[in-house]
Amino acid sequence: MDRRHFIKTTGGLSLTAGSGLLNTCSRLYAFDTSANLSRKEARYYKKHPDREIECLLCPRFCKLGDRERGYCGVRENIDGTYYTFVYGKACAVHLDPIEKKPFFHFLPQSRTLSLATAGCNVNCKFCQNWEISQVRPEQVEHQDFPPHQVVLTAQKYDSPIIAYTYTEPIVFFEYMIDTSIEAQKAGLRNVVVTGGHINPEPLQDLLPAVDAIKIDLKAFSELFYTEYVRGKLQPVLDAIKIIAQSSVWLEIVYLVIPSLNDSPEEIRQMSRWLKQTAGKDVPLHFSRFYPMYLLKNLPPTPTSTLERCHRIAREEGLHYVYIGNIPGHKAENTYCPQCQKLLIQRTGYSIGEKNLEEGRCKYCGQPIPGIWK
Amino acid sequence: MVLGKLNKMAQSRVVVIHGRGVHISNGQIDETKIIHMFQRGFQHLKNGISPSDCIRSLFHSDEHIGLKVNTLGGPKISTNPTISLLLAHWLTKGGLKPGNLLIWDRSNAELRQAGYRLTDNPGDIQIFGTDKPGAGYENALTVNQSIGSRFSRIQSRSISASISLAILKDHGLAGITAGMKNYFGAIHNPNKYHDFNCNPFIADLFETPPILQKHKLTILDGLNIQFHRGPSFHAKWNQKEEIFIFSTDPVAADATGWRLIEKLRASAGLPTLKEEKREPAYLFTAERKGLGRANLKYIEVIEDEI
Repeated sequence: MDRRHFIKTTGGLSLTAGSGLLNTCSRLYAFDTSANLSRKEARYYKKHPDREIECLLCPRFCKLGDRERGYCGVRENIDGTYYTFVYGKACAVHLDPIEKKPFFHFLPQSRTLSLATAGCNVNCKFCQNWEISQVRPEQVEHQDFPPHQVVLTAQKYDSPIIAYTYTEPIVFFEYMIDTSIEAQKAGLRNVVVTGGHINPEPLQDLLPAVDAIKIDLKAFSELFYTEYVRGKLQPVLDAIKIIAQSSVWLEIVYLVIPSLNDSPEEIRQMSRWLKQTAGKDVPLHFSRFYPMYLLKNLPPTPTSTLERCHRIAREEGLHYVYIGNIPGHKAENTYCPQCQKLLIQRTGYSIGEKNLEEGRCKYCGQPIPGIWK
Repeated sequence: MVLGKLNKMAQSRVVVIHGRGVHISNGQIDETKIIHMFQRGFQHLKNGISPSDCIRSLFHSDEHIGLKVNTLGGPKISTNPTISLLLAHWLTKGGLKPGNLLIWDRSNAELRQAGYRLTDNPGDIQIFGTDKPGAGYENALTVNQSIGSRFSRIQSRSISASISLAILKDHGLAGITAGMKNYFGAIHNPNKYHDFNCNPFIADLFETPPILQKHKLTILDGLNIQFHRGPSFHAKWNQKEEIFIFSTDPVAADATGWRLIEKLRASAGLPTLKEEKREPAYLFTAERKGLGRANLKYIEVIEDEI
């Protein structure tokens, strides 16, 4: 990937936040064009005889011989020791509004320093960021951006939140958790945008270091996960359950893909399961699909389909159901589940009217779950 | 449709050349004997025509040929650099231009670690990896069935014909890695194609135009065969042999390599790959696609010894 293409593809991510921010990022960092990979010993792996190792970070449990690299493309067994190549090696850094992640119940309108490294532990056929997620770190421009510098940069740009996002933060676990711990010490918040394809032990270790997690639940069927995600559904459901039982704020995004994961039955089952597992107050975002990467043969999701999903989830008793990627749709707004009045008005990533006071509905006093300050 | 295509496929020929005294002291190999093995292999490939005529029947004189080697395993278990260079030099005797021959793999570092000396001097045999400045990967994806990958521009643009000069190894997931899987090194995301015994990924990848339209010949380097716990090097299960396998049928070449690995495994008292649930299913998928013959019934194996 050449520099122009890199800027075009990853820089495009922040265009909606205002071109000024993109320029800020461009001025800030000189991208390193050499391979310049990290070699930090990975966490969560088991050594086996004959210099073989087994990765325990995600449900793939990659078993690797000497010089072999995991499915994620960023971890390699070198002579019987497992290393991450992306510690402190960011391939995308931007300042985004928190609504872009999306988090709707977490410090609305906050500026978020968002970063990613190369790599991913699944291969979704509809990936929006495949040019950085489905590559090895050698194949994408990256910069040295160690944890302490991430924190200093967030402070410098008045960003109270650091987001681990764009690709799959699980694959840069060591970098994410070390940065989160440093950020916590500096009074910053940490949010994670992930597919949730992670094993319980690392997830449990991560929870104390972060404040919010958004899970991309890609469907509610194992078959879909096998064919279109190249992963497994059950570990994602297990991750949602673990997060729901913790004090970390949780939001769910469900990208609705025409004919593949949009049947009313699947949406109803998913909504029912989500309510039982995470409670009626967990925000659920139905997001619009656009043809991308390896799924270019399908049309964008019709608005009517998203509205049907929204209706079903509400029928199942979820209080905060949103529609995403259709700017201006009224289901971008937050309404009070008690008095039904408008609490937060949104258009895309912008916030209009706001009728929350101390985390409660201004009109009827109903507490609205979320992290508001 | 596919069956019809298969029935029409002629029987495939695989040439297995055994050497004697190829390995000499200090890990060196007898270059003269290697050249003789190449000569004999090419001769048998095309019904006894001269090796030069065989080269001319496969490649036109100004063809740009990629010799795709496999250097992922490091110095102990990669396509032998001496073999690659001898082959390239020998091809020039058949009328091909040295500057049109490129020995290549994924990265310069891996080539170097495997013992290759990199060069891009015009007019000389070229040796470098996809990460050489000016090479790199295509921006556009090539899509075929289960595959969506960016090709090395070496495979997609620089060369017009390809030889898969692979080392023969056991593979913990695919069963074996040989000539077909060698092309995993021609794309940017091979790590995504190791589920389900790498099947159907290996066959689907081979079927893409940058490979299918350019691949002319498989040569398996069987001087040093990892017959168990591959693809990494393990001395305990590594066998020094003196074999080269040649075929214009990529599936038949690998299928013959597979039998050789099974033979070595049996000699060491190891279970078959099928018993270990890693039979190289990609070969049967490839056969169903009409890419070549996996069934030994349809493979004519010509063995000869130098």
